Amino acid sequence: MLELIEAALQRPNYIAFVVLFLWGLFIMVTHPNMVKKLVGMYLLQTSILLLLVTIGVKQDATVPILQGSDAVLSTADQMTPADYTNPLPHVLTLTAIVVQVATLGVSLALVTALYREYGSLDEDEILQGIE
Amino acid sequence: MSYHLPVILFLLPFATAICMPMVGSRRRRWCRPMALTAVFAMCVAAVVNLWIVVEHGETRYAFGGWPISTSLPDAPLGIEWVNDGLASVMLVALSFLAWLCLFYGGPLTLQSLGAREVLYYTLILLLISGLTGIVLAGDIFNVFVFLEVAALSAYALVGIPGGRALIVAFRYLILGTLGASFYLLGVVFLYASTGTLNMADLAQQMADKPELMTSKAVIGGTTFMFIGFGIKMALFPLHGWLPGAYTRAPDSISPLLAALMTKVALYGWVRIMFWVLGARAEIGQVHVLTLLGGLGALAAVVGALLALSQEDVKRMFAYGGISHVGLILIGVSQGNSTGFAGSMFYLINDAVMQAGLFFIAGAAIHQHGTRTVEDLSRLRQSPWLIGALIVLALSMIGIPPTGGFFGKWHIILGAIEAGNYLAVAAVVVATVRALKMHGGVEISDLGAENVDAVRRGCVNLERHLRNIQKYYLMWVEK
Repeated sequence: MLELIEAALQRPNYIAFVVLFLWGLFIMVTHPNMVKKLVGMYLLQTSILLLLVTIGVKQDATVPILQGSDAVLSTADQMTPADYTNPLPHVLTLTAIVVQVATLGVSLALVTALYREYGSLDEDEILQGIE
Repeated sequence: MSYHLPVILFLLPFATAICMPMVGSRRRRWCRPMALTAVFAMCVAAVVNLWIVVEHGETRYAFGGWPISTSLPDAPLGIEWVNDGLASVMLVALSFLAWLCLFYGGPLTLQSLGAREVLYYTLILLLISGLTGIVLAGDIFNVFVFLEVAALSAYALVGIPGGRALIVAFRYLILGTLGASFYLLGVVFLYASTGTLNMADLAQQMADKPELMTSKAVIGGTTFMFIGFGIKMALFPLHGWLPGAYTRAPDSISPLLAALMTKVALYGWVRIMFWVLGARAEIGQVHVLTLLGGLGALAAVVGALLALSQEDVKRMFAYGGISHVGLILIGVSQGNSTGFAGSMFYLINDAVMQAGLFFIAGAAIHQHGTRTVEDLSRLRQSPWLIGALIVLALSMIGIPPTGGFFGKWHIILGAIEAGNYLAVAAVVVATVRALKMHGGVEISDLGAENVDAVRRGCVNLERHLRNIQKYYLMWVEK
């Protein structure tokens, strides 16, 4: 048990991911205010990005741009991959951020339209207003 | 040229969508012909593509010429698109249905939209290109991006009429984004444990290293992916967004969504299930396909039950769609080629049926103001409409000359081959329910017969078919 706790404490990023993910999910599902729902959605999406960046980390590695003698074409075969971080998770993160921003844009547009029509941001109030 | 056909198929709607605001802002009347032409060209390209795949076998497209799964065991660096038999057939169905929906949608929408017509067509074309991307993608992250492209356009399209539609669109957005986030989480887990996103490479690694299939990361990742796709395909406990969204969406949009969105998500899961995990995948000691079959049977029966209790016509059809997703999953999960082929046939068949049903629902609302099931009798004034509805309903029940029969027949045959009589019973129950849902018969006299159906399973099918015809005639005469 103690080892498990110790192992978990050595990986703060994963703990942060779990906390943010569940927190976001909770807000998103339970909160009646629509803008707060979106805040929850944003938290949830960002927590996944945090996980994605975390798995790309290597100890003592640098940015994935060939440096020093590695940049010479003739010696490119001898470079050590362990010196460079994995660029792919970062690329995926960038793409996921774009998707996230687009989602947020569409959802805020919907919320604005709802607010104009019903004068409220609270889902329960709006539903009452309709009935 | 023929090598680039899959990309051309994607670019036709996509490029037109981008050009649409530029052309449309000056000449609004050009929007509809432009969209129709682009999707018609897509239909032609899809048919040519199918012919090429049938003649010369599958092709794999490497974006930018980077190495893909054909160069294994070298790492596949590039994004890969798979253009195989299943994908090319799906593309033909997708493009033809999309064209029909566009053609149908015109007269229903124009008056209320005004200047937003330009954006309306842009969104539809983006939706179509997103779906095309999901069908072709051979890379799990690529699937995520296209899922979101399609879903974002769908959220906006559902919200067009304003009022209550905005609320259901917002709910759809929240749940859809949750689904996409779960899927992305699954992708991260799989990437963390295998270091690749390419489907073929993933499958190769799963086959080479059996310990991967028992690792918690892969099991967890696959489960998250399934939950994500489950929300997108409206599998029974996760279907909350669907009935509202399809009911409130504009009449010109609901056929497109009903026919394609859930089916393409289901197709995406089938890709992951059979092309990445392999049919023999297990979680713990339980066969994944057994789990899927159980979920499918539940969805088929519950969806049909819920459909029965609906008053609104569009809502009833939407619940019918939930039931059919379950039916398709039952067939897929039998683990033999008969069931799989039947399911894939039923998937395309169901896309056509759902489109047809929502076409009729839209026309009924537009011409006769029919919104509830009881009012359907008003359709008597237009014989073509009611005739079409009857043919579609026959197909939904699965009367022999119609498409629904062959799909259901093969799903049942597959289940019998696998000795899975519970699945057979579920299909039959869903069928019996479907017949009642269209017969407009009183709900109270249905209970007893269904217990019967479960017990006797397939043997009863023929008798039920006769009953169906009887109910049908009753209804028509009424």
